[in-house]
Amino acid sequence: MSSWIPLWLHKLGSPPTFYRFAGKLRPWMLALAIVLGLVALYGGLVLAPPDYQQGDDYRIIFVHVPSAWMGLFIYGVMAVSAFIALVWRIKLAEVVAMESAPIGAAFTLITLTTGSLWGERMWGTWWTWDARLTSELVLLFLYLGVIGLYHAFEDRRQGARAAAFLALIGIINVPIVHFSVNWWNTLHQGSTIRLFGPSTMSGSMIWPLLTMMVATKCYYVFSLCSRVRADLLALESGKDWVRQIAAGETAR
Amino acid sequence: MNQAPLGRACAAVLRRDLTLAWRRRGDIAMPVLYALIVTTLFPFALGPENALLQRIAGGAVLVTVLLAMLLALDGMFRSDIEDGSLEQLVLAPQPLALMLGMKILAHWLTTALPLIVIAPMLASMLQLPVAVMPVLLLALALATPMLSLLGAVLVALTAGTRRSGMLLALMLLPLCVPVVIFAAGALAAAQQGLPWIAPIAWLGAALALALVLAPLACAAALRIALDA
Repeated sequence: MSSWIPLWLHKLGSPPTFYRFAGKLRPWMLALAIVLGLVALYGGLVLAPPDYQQGDDYRIIFVHVPSAWMGLFIYGVMAVSAFIALVWRIKLAEVVAMESAPIGAAFTLITLTTGSLWGERMWGTWWTWDARLTSELVLLFLYLGVIGLYHAFEDRRQGARAAAFLALIGIINVPIVHFSVNWWNTLHQGSTIRLFGPSTMSGSMIWPLLTMMVATKCYYVFSLCSRVRADLLALESGKDWVRQIAAGETAR
Repeated sequence: MNQAPLGRACAAVLRRDLTLAWRRRGDIAMPVLYALIVTTLFPFALGPENALLQRIAGGAVLVTVLLAMLLALDGMFRSDIEDGSLEQLVLAPQPLALMLGMKILAHWLTTALPLIVIAPMLASMLQLPVAVMPVLLLALALATPMLSLLGAVLVALTAGTRRSGMLLALMLLPLCVPVVIFAAGALAAAQQGLPWIAPIAWLGAALALALVLAPLACAAALRIALDA
């Protein structure tokens, strides 16, 4: 009865099927991301009240925190597909892992940039060697290392496998970095964002944040679909299904 | 086909690498010279005040040694890949992880050990108190094998590429952050007269873990990189 799910997943692993599936999924995800993003921005920038302590400056949270979540989430996706790629040597998993890395790096960069803008307003400094900031920077370096290693190889699949291995080593390192910065005696004790702490945010601030989180997820799926489609065409160039697509494009 | 016993194979790999390094003694001196030059730059850049130099001495020596090792890492498997002897090692019946462990040991002996030997000199150039010297040596003795082991995995990953120098720095930095934090933490604690055994113990634990896992990871990475 439910045997079509594994079969469907199995089929989805083949490049032509995924290419078509991603092509159908892509516009929906983009539309969802735009609509939800606009709703979240309206809710966050217009409807939500100013913070009693930070005034209007806190509103950068609606970009900053969802990006920070995405930075970690995408690393997780990348590591899982890297594991699948290394163990079962599925071509699609390699491509997903490698095309996730630039998106994750972009979200991490957004987190660092908006964080430093916020820090300038709140703490009066662009950068402090706080545990959270430093671990975010290390995360960015991890992403850049994976991207760099992928592009250092002539052979794309070989590069993907090497970079996937690095991504897996990196995920072992994430908790190590997290804990070691806790023991690292920082001079500056940076203030941290507590979402569900005692000084919790009001509901009018939470819902735009959560909506933005869903919007960024949708954008990630859209971006990943587009990138994977392009990468699959390049990887599989010369195969029949790519030829058919190319023939269709020229005939049109 | 009768294969050589493990012990003899290990000794052979170690002897070969050490002989090769000894034939090119100039290369062994390079990281040491590099560390010496970088250390002399600190007083020029920061000013020759003793109090300031004393405060940064531990961390500066640590970072200098790390950078010198990073430069040397790039060449760990370079010549072996070029002349094809690494492929022979992969094909050999002995476990690859063990053979690579021997190569890492040889590399540590030829690059890190000279750096540890001159570390007290570097530290005293920056006015590190004599009482802290044993802690510095202990921290380096535990931190440098970690760097060699971690570095070997990354070098193995880049074995299939032409240009890897800068990339290696980018990949090693996130991995060696904890090592630097704990080693520097032990030095800072010793300098302030506080107990310093806890960070040293962490370094030791991490080294034990790396000793077991890194050669295996290195072998897996090398297989990926050479599997063209």
